[in-house]
Amino acid sequence: MQEKDIIKKIIEFKKIQPNHDWVIWLKANILEIKPQNLLHEKPRVRLASFSFINKYQKAFIPAFLGLFFVFSFSFAQIALPGNILYPIKTLTQDAKIYLASENTKPVVRLEVAKARMEDLSKVQNHEQEISEIVKIIKKDLGLVPQEIKKIDKKQIALDVSKDVQERSKDLQVMADKIILEENDKEELSRTVKNAQSQVLALIMETTEEINQCPSFLSNDLVELGERFTDIQNAMIQLPNDEIIKMKNLLIEASASLKAGDCLAAMEKIESINQLLSFLSLDVQVETSTPEKLDEESSIISPQEELEENDY
Amino acid sequence: MDKKKFSEFYDQNINKVFRFVYLRVDSAETAQDLTSLAFLKLWKTQASFSNDKKNQSSKISNHKAFLFQIARNQIIDFYRQKDKKPLSLESLGEIADFQVAKPTFSQRIELDLEMEKIKKALKSINPLYADIIIWKYLDDLSNKEIAQILKKKEGNVRVLLHRAMESLKKQLDS
Repeated sequence: MQEKDIIKKIIEFKKIQPNHDWVIWLKANILEIKPQNLLHEKPRVRLASFSFINKYQKAFIPAFLGLFFVFSFSFAQIALPGNILYPIKTLTQDAKIYLASENTKPVVRLEVAKARMEDLSKVQNHEQEISEIVKIIKKDLGLVPQEIKKIDKKQIALDVSKDVQERSKDLQVMADKIILEENDKEELSRTVKNAQSQVLALIMETTEEINQCPSFLSNDLVELGERFTDIQNAMIQLPNDEIIKMKNLLIEASASLKAGDCLAAMEKIESINQLLSFLSLDVQVETSTPEKLDEESSIISPQEELEENDY
Repeated sequence: MDKKKFSEFYDQNINKVFRFVYLRVDSAETAQDLTSLAFLKLWKTQASFSNDKKNQSSKISNHKAFLFQIARNQIIDFYRQKDKKPLSLESLGEIADFQVAKPTFSQRIELDLEMEKIKKALKSINPLYADIIIWKYLDDLSNKEIAQILKKKEGNVRVLLHRAMESLKKQLDS
């Protein structure tokens, strides 16, 4: 069979026709189906190398933000005024002050002020930023003496004042290094001097208060000590607990006095007084019990015995 | 492609697709099922593409070539699954809410002896050669369209067609 004949025969296959009813039925059925119902959501195609992003999206975003903040904070610590990260540095320093305890706050604030002054000494341009920071430094230096005043315990206040005074010695030198206009420079120097003199005044004042405190209290304490010794000698049978309690109170009162905490010392002395008075009463009662009286009456001196025999 | 255009396209190609499938599967009923699936898939696919406005580049460029491509894949799937699970209109209904009215449209197609011989020969040769011969001489597809279906170059299609005819001739002579 020739190729032409084969092709002719193949063309004859065209008489193969599907059932006409079926053709109509199929078309009607297909067209009845609304395209919306047929739609399947097309899967989103992503580059394989980044496909993990979707999977770990929930963990990835916080981790990325965390890293971003860590890096920002790290780099901010070496930033200088005028740098975009410098506000983060000041924010961190403010947080440090805020989180410091009442007793350490003045020292922390002073250290922050010093750090800021050091930053300013390294910068030449950015006048606007410098003047802004100078304002903050002045405010901080003004707050240091006020915060020392807030410390309750005199001895701690004195120690903090002395620490601040020691640390603020180089403030003036640092202030001189900052490139500022003459007026601003003078004003900063004045603030530094004011702060230093206020701290010095506080040291004197607190020392005086601590020294004044013992004038009447220390006498009381000495007196109480003597009384306690007398009572202890007189009453050997006193319970050990009471003796220990008294001793502790005396030690605490003495310590409070030394720390300049007059009120606490007074409270302790009062407690000792009360305890002593209780113990004295107990002793009196104890010495006048019937058994004791009987015992005392039954004891006859040798002279009395002789007299009785004579009689 | 809206309903009207699809309807026209359907009328133009239903016989061709049915013939192509029938000659490859040798059963009118199976040919109907596979043809139905092919058209249904085309309808679904073109509908999803026309709604996907973001990805207009993925539009069907040649509906006819695409339809024959689907039909060819259906035949391949049919032979793969033949031993496992026969394809039927019931399974088609499960796929896409297709109304299965269970029509009795099967018909006996009478062919003369020579045609039967050619039909058998077509089934005996390489399926790819058979497909190309049917598309070229029976369904009047151009070399370009055949190339699109097979994802080959037109030159390759010409060579394949020549080899296909040689193979069929040899089969008929033997």
